[in-house]
Amino acid sequence: MSKKAVHRPNLSRNRKSKARRALGWLAKLSIVGAVVLAVLMAYLDAQVRSKFEGKRWALPAKVYARPLELYPGLQLKPKHLIQELKQIGYERVPNVRTPGQYSVHGEEIDIYRRYVKLWDGEEAAARIHLRFLKEELVGVWLDGKPTEIARLEPLLIGGIYPSHNEDRQLVQIEDVPKLLVDTLVAVEDRNFYDHWGISPKGIMRAFMVNLQKGALRQGGSTLTQQLVKNFFLTQERTLQRKAIEALMAILVEIHYDKDEILEAYLNEVFLGQSGRRAIHGFGLASQFYFGKHISALNAYEIATLVGIVKGPSYYNPKRKPERALERRNVVLQVMHEQGLITEYEKKVWTMRPLGVVQYSQYQKVEYPAYLDLVRRQLRQDYAEADLTSEGLKIFTSLNPIVQRSAEQALSKRLKRLESGYRMPERSLQGAVIVASTESGEVEAIVGDRNPRYFGFNRALDARRSIGSLAKPAVYLTALRSGQYTLTSPVDDSPVQIAGAKGSLWEPQNYDKESHGIVPLYYAMANSYNQSTARLGMEVGLENVTNTFKDLGTVRTLPQYPSILLGAFEMTAIDVAEMYQTIAASGFHTPLKAIRGVTTAEGQLLSRYGYQVKQTIKTEPIYLLQKAMQQTVKQGTARYLNSRFDTSLNLAGKTGTSDSQRDSWFSGFSGDRLAVVWVGRDDNESMPITGASGALRVWADTMHDLPLKPLYPLPTEFIEEYWVEPQSNLLTKEKCEGAMLMPYIKGTAPQMQNECATGTKDKGGFWSRFF
Amino acid sequence: MMRFTLLSLVLFLSACATQPSSTDFTKSTSKSGLSVLPNWYHESVGYHLEGGQIYPDHPPLAKLLKDADKAFMRDDLAACQTLLERAQRIGTRETSVYVRLSYLYWVQKKNKLAEQMARRALAVLGADTAQKQEVSRLLSAIQSN
Repeated sequence: MSKKAVHRPNLSRNRKSKARRALGWLAKLSIVGAVVLAVLMAYLDAQVRSKFEGKRWALPAKVYARPLELYPGLQLKPKHLIQELKQIGYERVPNVRTPGQYSVHGEEIDIYRRYVKLWDGEEAAARIHLRFLKEELVGVWLDGKPTEIARLEPLLIGGIYPSHNEDRQLVQIEDVPKLLVDTLVAVEDRNFYDHWGISPKGIMRAFMVNLQKGALRQGGSTLTQQLVKNFFLTQERTLQRKAIEALMAILVEIHYDKDEILEAYLNEVFLGQSGRRAIHGFGLASQFYFGKHISALNAYEIATLVGIVKGPSYYNPKRKPERALERRNVVLQVMHEQGLITEYEKKVWTMRPLGVVQYSQYQKVEYPAYLDLVRRQLRQDYAEADLTSEGLKIFTSLNPIVQRSAEQALSKRLKRLESGYRMPERSLQGAVIVASTESGEVEAIVGDRNPRYFGFNRALDARRSIGSLAKPAVYLTALRSGQYTLTSPVDDSPVQIAGAKGSLWEPQNYDKESHGIVPLYYAMANSYNQSTARLGMEVGLENVTNTFKDLGTVRTLPQYPSILLGAFEMTAIDVAEMYQTIAASGFHTPLKAIRGVTTAEGQLLSRYGYQVKQTIKTEPIYLLQKAMQQTVKQGTARYLNSRFDTSLNLAGKTGTSDSQRDSWFSGFSGDRLAVVWVGRDDNESMPITGASGALRVWADTMHDLPLKPLYPLPTEFIEEYWVEPQSNLLTKEKCEGAMLMPYIKGTAPQMQNECATGTKDKGGFWSRFF
Repeated sequence: MMRFTLLSLVLFLSACATQPSSTDFTKSTSKSGLSVLPNWYHESVGYHLEGGQIYPDHPPLAKLLKDADKAFMRDDLAACQTLLERAQRIGTRETSVYVRLSYLYWVQKKNKLAEQMARRALAVLGADTAQKQEVSRLLSAIQSN
């Protein structure tokens, strides 16, 4: 019998059809994937090229102090010079051998100056020999030959940073020691010159380690990948991020050669933190850690820096020296294994200490109040973007010695005042400005009792009532008129002055006493309110406000009688501007902080030269200066006689505002002017006057600084006479109460007193008895 | 002596002057600079550089002023100004610094600044009327130009 045929479906054909469909989908997906990849690559390629071919980094502007000028005859304390040498990163050694060193032998100091490029020229590396006699520099030699003048490199005082606060000093690959490049490659990416951006070997090795640990513990990143990560990407460690990193690394390798990639890496890599600033690149790291240019690094210093790459915080040589040392020695071992150093060299350098400098040209200390002024003045000529990205070099007139003195004076004296007057701690604040009287250059600014504070700058922004600091303008108006002299009698009796809307103003003296008729200079020296207000009304409010304007006050003052006693607000720098004109004999020079600006390469962009304008005649200013010297000799600032040699002939004015909310002192020598404000931020009253507060800070600031005596500039229209001031009568030298007083020609008293005419005994010891 | 020195200084500078610059702060040109000087500048006896004592008796200041004069002679006005400003910081009451600054600004046609520098020179001269006469002449020449 035959079996019926069973119809079975064709399984083989079905399988083939399914496989074909699957392949079809795979092909379609592949095409889509390829398109997506192509688009991604194009996008990444654009990113890579725009970064590499545009401006790669935003370079902050660097701000420098003044270069110290050294010449025979300069008044300079050796300790100040040594302090500045330390700040600019010079190393003290027994005998100088290389640039960046100094030695001290008694009163002789040797300095091996580094090469420096300033805005007005270059100073070659040179040996400078200095001879001091106590606090005077008496001899200067340059490379063994006597010289009239030499300059040191200026201190880097800060920078103007982009918002991300990165800082770097760009280097070119040609400037980088070959040993550093070789060490970096040996430690971080041994196959750098062979791979094409990613290293499969490195990836496999890292994969195995991560698999064992069950977490992402090791990276197989090449230098190219590290560069890409820092340039473009975040720090997250995900597979997606790693994939993009790999693609970008390949693109970088396609477009740029190994040297270009290395150069970018050397300038990009993060190597530490200094306060707000992130240290990027080996160029800056060399300065920061070792105080030297990258080309001057030796092998163990190179090993230290390369070792930091793995973990700048973990291996920070300044904070974690033991770890940094251990890591350095590991790198030295690698250097030896790769044949970069000999066994002997490895042994010797492993024994060496780290050699990190304590100070460097790149230091944490900044001068925020001063930098604030620099920034404001620069904004008049430069856009913010230029300041934070072009690597400009800004050369200022900051004097680190004066700045340090002002900071310490304010900080210490405020504490003493709080303690002495039983005030709450930190209840007082202050501001100090120091400037050169003749050049108008600002040497120091302190805007807070904590000088490192980046915040409200009281020196530039705290508008406070100036009180008696206004009085010199009133007296100057009187002296300018030709109707008044220093010995003109002024009335210090009670006074009532009609104000606006029928109000009556009755100013009172600080001591609540009236002093009757007194000589004009005496009223100013003792800061009498009643006589000042009366005098101001006599000479006219409008004339007084014009005098303020001529002194350099920018704002328009209201025409109220109370302005005669300073019932209006100014900042400390406004006051300094005003008093600079007085100190410079009527020649107004706008206060400035900047001398010159160059590009990063040293090409001059701007210079800010000396400018001056005579706004007040010399003769009345001469008289005013004499009166202000009396303020120190016998008036409200006489405390200074206990702190300074009277031959300095200092001049100044104390200021205390209404209800003692503000304590001011503005004073000057022959070369320096300083303005000090002390007060409370909440504007509450204090048990402190100008004399007991700001004056003391002024004295502490200036006491440690060299000062020139003040000799007011007379003219041929100034004559001197012996006068008895209280009576305003001519007298003779040996007569009682005689003072030699200056007068503008034709304004001296005409009448003589009895002593002068001979009708009264001239006085003397025996005349008391006979 | 000082009167002769000051006069000689002015002559020396004028003899070495190049033409004044345009508002661009770079170079000066000699002829128009000399031409604005009044006749009495040209009529006086010339000053001899070697053996002259036109520099202050303060070596650092003298060095800076000599270098400033050399810069001026080679028409490098930027360097001249920089050196003079360095000198001004050291010798704030040195008349010859201000006289030089005045002349420097004058040849650059910055007359306002030139005038103020001359005024400053007058002020630091104090009561020395003899020297003041010389500087006053400079001031008058600037003001009349």
